[in-house]
Order: sequence, then structure tokens, then C-alpha cells
Amino acid sequence: MKNSPLFFIALFGALALSFGALVLGSLRQFGQLDAYFDAGEGAAFPARAPGLAARGLLVYRDLGCASCHTQQVRRPGFGTDQERGWGDRQSVARDYIYQSRVQLGQTRIGPDLTNFGERAAKAGTDQGRLFLNLYAGQGGMPPYPFLFEARRIVGQPAKQALPVNSRPGYEVVPTRRAEALAAYLLSLNAGFTYPEAQPLESATEAKK
Amino acid sequence: MTFAPPIPDVPAPAASDPRAIDRSARWALLLLLASGLVWLAVGGVLALVHSIQLHTPGFLAASEWFTFGRTQAAAETALVYGWAANAGFAVALWLLGRLGGTPLRGLGLVKIGGAFWNLGVTLGVIGILGGDLTSFSLLQTPAYVQPLLLVAFAAIGTAGVLAWSGRRVGRTFAAQWYAVAALFAFPWVYSVAQAMLFALPVRGTMQAVVAVWAGQNVLSLWLGPLALAAAYYLVPKITGRTLAAYDLAAWGFGVLLFIGPWTGGRHLVGGPVPAWVPTVGIACSLLLLFHFIVVAINLRDVFGNPTGSTALRFMALGVAAYVLGGLIDAGTALRGAAKLVQFTYFAEAQTMLAILGGFTLPVFGAIYFLTPRVTGKTWGSDGLIKLHLGAAGLGLVLLVGGLAGAGLKQGLGLNDAGTAFAVIFDSVRPWLLVATAGVGLQLLGGVFLAVNLALQLQPESGGAAVANQPSAEPAP
Repeated sequence: MKNSPLFFIALFGALALSFGALVLGSLRQFGQLDAYFDAGEGAAFPARAPGLAARGLLVYRDLGCASCHTQQVRRPGFGTDQERGWGDRQSVARDYIYQSRVQLGQTRIGPDLTNFGERAAKAGTDQGRLFLNLYAGQGGMPPYPFLFEARRIVGQPAKQALPVNSRPGYEVVPTRRAEALAAYLLSLNAGFTYPEAQPLESATEAKK
Repeated sequence: MTFAPPIPDVPAPAASDPRAIDRSARWALLLLLASGLVWLAVGGVLALVHSIQLHTPGFLAASEWFTFGRTQAAAETALVYGWAANAGFAVALWLLGRLGGTPLRGLGLVKIGGAFWNLGVTLGVIGILGGDLTSFSLLQTPAYVQPLLLVAFAAIGTAGVLAWSGRRVGRTFAAQWYAVAALFAFPWVYSVAQAMLFALPVRGTMQAVVAVWAGQNVLSLWLGPLALAAAYYLVPKITGRTLAAYDLAAWGFGVLLFIGPWTGGRHLVGGPVPAWVPTVGIACSLLLLFHFIVVAINLRDVFGNPTGSTALRFMALGVAAYVLGGLIDAGTALRGAAKLVQFTYFAEAQTMLAILGGFTLPVFGAIYFLTPRVTGKTWGSDGLIKLHLGAAGLGLVLLVGGLAGAGLKQGLGLNDAGTAFAVIFDSVRPWLLVATAGVGLQLLGGVFLAVNLALQLQPESGGAAVANQPSAEPAP
């Protein structure tokens, strides 16, 4: 290796090769993925998140929620994602196309949140319950008291006030960030099944 | 291409005296080393806080700055971009200067670049604690400091490139290949990540593909090669023996260079990306075993220690951690194992083994060897070095073992749909306590090194000749 230019070309080429194939290759394959229009429903999926929920994604990112929660449901047989009720189908790339910063996550210290909105609706977890869990923590989840503020009660107590003890004459209410985060979490819903998310098993079972 | 005979650092006729080369770079290298040690302590404290939060979620939870997700990102950033980058720069520049046979040029750039790099990392860690983390593993520094880091890296790296291109010794050695590759690969990868994740973010889960490619390269083509450069240079130098099967070294290097960058996709197995991305990652993780085998063969003499050198003991632990990490990465890439350990603490154990084991331990060894030669003074305390060795070794075993045990328990629990998260949390708690003890020991070890360096730099500690060092390492 006396030849410096050759050495640097090899260094450059090694990275360029993997970058070209792995990154540019997959970019070409699914980098321009678009929404799917379903004629039956008369709507395109995935839906764009409403403004408050889109801001909630930023709160989710800045608190590092992804260090405990994933947002990806794997196929049946690879983990127990679906048995745990995290989703009825595996997540596909199209689910994420409108997310400004994709939060797939790498660790499941807490449950997956792909379908949190749908799950919460089924379990009757409303916004107030969610606020309480965020304020006080739950199981292995730390509390996030800084997303709430104690405020002097002026006139009637606020509708949003949490049923927790505070100084007399004060109430604990969610900040705008808590409201955005809750709106984001409750908007998480992967109810629509794209053609590419149909499990392959169903085709074989149909033959039987 | 011809490969050198296995005797590194043969002084060529025109080469300068290694002592002169070492001394000329004194202040630049000390700036990098001291900054690195400060970051090792900062990262250690943050890692300790994070580790306590794993088993005691309420710890510091009332403070937004130290909320769980942020302490993890901040600790990782302080350790990788603070400690590993600074220490890696120092070791790489030092050995490139020595192997080039000529005093380092561009040292002014190193000092300015070093100052700005550390400014960037400081802003980055504060930014993360303030909520500007990117949420991409190993690339957590906020987008706004990344250009600064790139420019500072270029300034520091210039000295390395000048040492390579202006070398007086014609042939090159494995240590130089790895050092130059590390200096070259980081800006390549980091600028791509900057462009595709932050400047013009790609759509949807393409972000995850870019992030695993870049994150893997941070470990495989930046930190790994820096540690290997140190080991390939110092193991033959300290043992006084030539490297075993040195002809294979070029193959080991080439395989890491060409296969390593492909392995990141394994983290996305089962995820919402094209299936070939993880499949290629798994296959390449297995191919990469060749590299780890070559490293193990080349450096096998590190395990016999005729001179009783403490620096070599650090190297031995580090080489073992590096090779073990490669084996575990390949093993857990397989789908059956991935199903068990994916999304668990086990992945964290692997990252820690790579950063605090495979990278940090060989670099500690190199620091113990090079600093007295650079300053011309002996280490303040030989006992502290031995204490550091014990703390770093035992700390790593407890940290990685604790996290790995917790990860396996967690994986078994997650794979049984009937096991609630509260049950998993209770079952992993003892393991996480062990991991916390490991982080504490690691931090303590780093403090021992920092104190020892401070003792060495004291003006009154005299200029005892390096050859009188009790650990009896061969003169430069």
C-alpha cells in the first residue's frame, strides 16, 4: 500500500458502494412512496396528522420517548406484537410517509405505540386519564411533572385540571406541550390495511 | 500493492528521532487527551444517571433536563463525540506521526479544531439536555452543531492526512491504514447523515435506513479502526514480537472496509423497510466474522505478556472485547436470536461493549504508553494505573453482563404475550442494578486516569526518564 491515491480511492469506494446500494437503492425503491387512495372509503391513507398532533410529535422526539417505546408492529410469528394487541397488521413503510421525524424506536421498555390512539379508544383511556399517567408516571414509566403547571384558580376550576392535590387555591393543568403530546398519542392509528400489509399467510390459508 | 514485513516502525534512515516527534506534538495531543478525559467523566456521570433511571424511573424525573430519553442521548454523545473522538484523534495523530517518521505538521489546526470540536460537543450535549436530540442512535447531536463538528473534524484530520502523505517511510503499516480510514470515514458518513436526515430529510422509514447505515459506520469505520490502529501499532512494540500472520492484516482491513458498512441493516429486521435491507445486513454481519478472526490471529500475542506491561493488559482486555463484540453482533443478527434480543437492553449492552470495551480499553492502553513519551514525565502513580485496570475491566463485565442479562430476561418476557410489562420490569431490575454498579466502576476508573494525568503534569513531578517507568516498557 505504497500508493496513496489508490488507498484513498479504495476508502472512498468502500463507503460509496454501501451508500449507493443500501441507501440510494432503497431510496429509489421506496423513497417517493405516496399515499394510497382507497375508492371504497373515498379517502387517501395515511391521513396527515392534524396540526396539534404534528406538534406533539416534536414533543415526543424532544423528550426521547423513542428510547422506551417503539412504533412498529412486526409480522405474526416474529415476536408477539399482534398477540399483545399492538396492531392487527404489520407496519409498512407507507404508514410513516407524513412523519417529519420517524420514531421507529429501538427498545421496548414500555409497550409499542403504533396504534395507541385506537387502543386508547377501545380501553376507554381518554385525554384526562392520559394526562394523569403522564403527570404521575405509571409502572416503569417516569412521571413528567414538567409538562404540567400549577396555576391559581381564578373563578371556576379549569375543565382540564387534573384530579390531584395541589396547594390550596391552585390547580394542576397541562401545558400546551402536554396537550400536543396527548393529541399526538391519541392520533396514532394504523387501522387502515394497505394492500402491501396483507399478511401472506392469508393467501395460503385460503387455498386450504 | 505490496505489504510490509511484520516489523512496524522500523526507523528509516531519513526518519527523525521518535522522541523529537513525540515532544513536538505535546500540547496538541495533551489538549485532545485532557478534553477526552473531561468528557469521559461527564459521559460517565450522565450514563450513571441514566442507568439509575433504568431501575428507578422516578430518579431526577422532575427535572426536564434529566428526563430519561435525554440522559441516554446525552451520555452516548458525551462518550462517543466527547471522549472517543478526542482520545481517538490523539492516538491516531500520534501514531501517524511516528509511523510517518516525521514531526506532525498542521498542529495549529489541531489545536484550533480541537477547541471548536469541544465547543461543538458542549453545545450538543447541552442542546440534547434542552430537548434538541435527533432521536437517531449514535447521531444524537442536534442538527445545528453538526456543521461545526464537521469543520472542526476537518481541521484536526488535516494533520493526520499530512502525516500520511508527507511520510518519510515509504511503506505503510496496518496501524496507519486503520487510522487514516477512521479519519476519512467519519466526515464522509456524517455529511451524508447531515444532508439526508436533517438538511433535506428523506421520507418516512428511509430515515431509519440512513440512520442505521450512518450509525453502524460510526462504530465500524470510525471508533473500531481507531482502536485497531492503537492495537496494531502497540502490541508488537510492547511485546517485542512481530505480529502473527501479518500478511492477513490487509485482508482483515479490506473486509472491514468493504463489508462493515453493510451490516447496519440488521437492526431493522422485521421492521417497515424492504426485507432485503435487513437480510443484507445479516449476511454481511456473518461475512464480517472474517475480519474479527484476522484481528484475533494478528493480535494473539497481546494475551501473552512477557514484560508485564499494564498498557498491554488494557490492550488484551480491549482486543478481547472487540472480537467478542463482533461475534455477538453476528450471532444476534441471525433471525432466531434477533427475535429474542430485538428491542431489549441487549442491544444497549452491545453498544456499550463496542464503545467502552472494544474502543476504550485499547485506547486506555495507548494513552498509558504514549503520554509519558509525549510529556517526558512519568505517570504519577503506578498503583492508580492498576486500580484503573481493575475498575475498567470489572466495570465493563458488570455493565455489559448486567445489561445483557436484563436483555435476555426482557426478551423472554416480551416474547410471551401473557407477560405484562410490570412483570418484566420486576424481573430485570436486579440485572439493571448490576449494570449501574458497572457504570459506577467505569466512571471511577476514568477518574483514576484523570488524576494520574494531573499528577504527571504537575510541574514539580520532575523529569524522570521514561525508561525508569516501573512498568518497564521498552523505550520509544
